[in-house]
Amino acid sequence: MKRFYILGFLSLIFFDTLAQVSFKYASIHAEPLAMDVAWLVRVFGHPWIYGAFVGYIGAFFTWMTLMKHAPIGPAFAASYLELISVTLVSVWLFNDTLTLPKVIGGLLIVAGILCLARQETPEAKTGETALETSPS
Amino acid sequence: MSQLTFILWILNVIVDTSGQLAFKAAATNSAEFSGMDHWRHMLARHWFWIGIGLYVIEFVLWLAFLSLVPLSVAVMLGSFNIVVIMIAGRLWFKESLTKWRLIGILLIALGTVVVGFG
Repeated sequence: MKRFYILGFLSLIFFDTLAQVSFKYASIHAEPLAMDVAWLVRVFGHPWIYGAFVGYIGAFFTWMTLMKHAPIGPAFAASYLELISVTLVSVWLFNDTLTLPKVIGGLLIVAGILCLARQETPEAKTGETALETSPS
Repeated sequence: MSQLTFILWILNVIVDTSGQLAFKAAATNSAEFSGMDHWRHMLARHWFWIGIGLYVIEFVLWLAFLSLVPLSVAVMLGSFNIVVIMIAGRLWFKESLTKWRLIGILLIALGTVVVGFG
């Protein structure tokens, strides 16, 4: 079962990263940015945008499969930890730089995501299920 | 951060949050159904289609935003949407903001400021 989770989370991070990298390639190829149809045509005329669709669809099905068995907290964290993988890939493929604000800010964000994920564990949730099941 | 970048960032946050709220509204309205009935009921709700429309717009807005900032900066600033969505969830769906959620929100907000303006 543990291998299922690890494979699932890695797939999720892979598909999310693929989607973001595809978006970046698409936006680069569509430059210059302009609020007109020509820009849209450039976006959808280039193959990379379809990488984004593949990424989104793959992520959707991976998420749905994970949701059947995986605890929602770690799954939630995994879906946002693409932050780390996307940043690293960006440094590799797009000549991005790891500046100090980015590293510190990134670590703060990841810490925040882990706190949110911790909230979704069953122990933490028992306190608030009463609130959530009442009709609003 | 240039003015256009800031505007596109704010628009991304607003449209993403609105889309999530619309989907949540569609899902909770259909909550008493299950399985295929749940989906059939949801697809008939106008909130669902408003959500779809908003995400089509979000798709374009995100691409525009990505044209202006490095990818690493874009995804880090994009994490801020979680904060606004959680606050919106509190306001519209009475979702509780417990201790860990508040700490998480503060950390993400702080991280976003450091990345965006550091």
